[in-house]
Amino acid sequence: MQRRLVFLSAMTFLLPVVAGVHLFLGFRSTDLPQLLFAFAGSDAQSFEEAVLLYQRVPRTLIALYVGGVTAVCGFVLQSLVRNPLASPTTLGVNAGAALFLVAGVLLFNLDTKLQGAAALVGALSGFLASLAVAKAAGRRNDPRGLSLILSGALVTMFFTGLTNALLLSDPARRSDLLSWIVGTINHAYADRLALFWWVGVIAILMLLVLARPLTLILFGAEKAASTGVNVPIVSGLAILAAVLGAGSAVAICGPIGFVGLVVPHIVRPLVGNNLRISLPAAFLTGAMVCIMADLIGREALYPFSLSTGLVTDLVGGVVFILIIKRFYLSSGAQQGVA
Amino acid sequence: MLEVQHVTAGYGKLEVLSDLSIQFRPGRFTAIAGPNGCGKSSLLKAIMRFLPLSKGEIMLDGKPLEKIGRKKLARRIAYLPQECFCPDYMTLGELIELAGHSRYELVGGPSERDRELFSQVLKTVGLSDRAGFPVNKLSGGQRQRAWIAMVLAQDTEIILMDEPVNNLDITYQFAVLELVRDLVENHGKTVISVLHDLNLTAAFADDVALMRGGQCLISGTVEDAVTPENIESVFGLKAQVFEKEGRLVCFPERSETTVFC
Repeated sequence: MQRRLVFLSAMTFLLPVVAGVHLFLGFRSTDLPQLLFAFAGSDAQSFEEAVLLYQRVPRTLIALYVGGVTAVCGFVLQSLVRNPLASPTTLGVNAGAALFLVAGVLLFNLDTKLQGAAALVGALSGFLASLAVAKAAGRRNDPRGLSLILSGALVTMFFTGLTNALLLSDPARRSDLLSWIVGTINHAYADRLALFWWVGVIAILMLLVLARPLTLILFGAEKAASTGVNVPIVSGLAILAAVLGAGSAVAICGPIGFVGLVVPHIVRPLVGNNLRISLPAAFLTGAMVCIMADLIGREALYPFSLSTGLVTDLVGGVVFILIIKRFYLSSGAQQGVA
Repeated sequence: MLEVQHVTAGYGKLEVLSDLSIQFRPGRFTAIAGPNGCGKSSLLKAIMRFLPLSKGEIMLDGKPLEKIGRKKLARRIAYLPQECFCPDYMTLGELIELAGHSRYELVGGPSERDRELFSQVLKTVGLSDRAGFPVNKLSGGQRQRAWIAMVLAQDTEIILMDEPVNNLDITYQFAVLELVRDLVENHGKTVISVLHDLNLTAAFADDVALMRGGQCLISGTVEDAVTPENIESVFGLKAQVFEKEGRLVCFPERSETTVFC
């Protein structure tokens, strides 16, 4: 219990620090005192202030939202699917959202608002497609849920193929979508954040309210029901919230991979499986990971910048292998969710 | 009073309970025994409404069980499944706090009274010093008592247990059943438990229900029900039953040829 509170408070303290570094790194130190006042004014008084207010602040907020929401949704999906490899990336959620958004832009010329709606519908479709494939493949005989992960990979490949075909068919407009499709935290997407932030907020509030019954579902459907949990309704609502939350993140800045997969594995050993504590911890950690990934992408190869999605894909891919090794290939591999 | 009336139920076309009737008397420890696959676990699942009934009814204090909502039912009946799974890193303290879910507000938590109950429960199962300990790191016997603690923390009058002493060595089997005995005698609980072992049943239970082929063939007090004739008709096994220090002991006879039917 002690360690959990220490971790939570450490993250609560560290997140503003990392966000501060993300905001102010690169400015001349002599400018910093004056820049702090930029938040008080209504408009930018200098070039530096403009950079801070119109580039850095939106970027930090987007990273905070996307990282936090994706990590919480990943945690919930891993709990409900009972598989350590579950996440928005591996269950077809991200690929579905990306396909529907790209199709919406290229085929139907949707405006930004409707693009978001398309991404949410796409996120749900991707997840349902993975479920359907897994069902056809006989998921009932697979208690560890691996078939669902493989189906998710299949759906992701199929949807990504379609997305690429759409992009290739429209050379004139594809450059607009190219950096979005690899997952980029960019100040240009600030208007998308302004449009869709409430989706993630509602999703997270819903998941926090459902945290205790969701934790009980970890004990198995029958044990949960015997303690008074309405399992079909709770898990249905939670999956809906998690998928839509993750979809809203994709709608803002494209699929940022692996945050939803990796962060739960960082959080769980430190704060445990009680979702009342682990969901807030996942939010803080996810936000921090995403801000740091964006910082690395921005500063590592300066003056060139890497897409945040590329950074998380590179790091996440390695961690993905470690998770497979730990849960599936090691002797005495652990059962279900760690 | 829990009454099962002419219940037929099954999984798809496979019928596992057929026209089964039994009454469970309050404040007693009833053991359900019978050969493998006779529907003992299914009977508990039917009471918990995990198994839909195709015929018949189960009544709790004269009210059909299906009319009672999940949350209300959780305040009356607690259930210990045959195999329990605990998520990693979950501590015993968290385990029993979660058990009170049906009493809490959706976003609320345990009351002062609940907390008192929890420390009482930990004392009852002898794990007071283990509250902050991860459940999956407890020893086998301690873990089984942790699951019983979770069931007790639910604070219900009726407790269903599906083979609570499976996979435990004989010391722990006795320790767990002594604990169940104590719950019935000193805490006013009604316990209905599937028990494989007739000797353990005879040593600890008040009543026994002998099942075969999805039906309850014999039910009554241990003294009335555990007889050589009944054992032969239910298990198809010749056995002697004798009394030793006020307790019935079943002694199956070895046959020359083993018959599987």
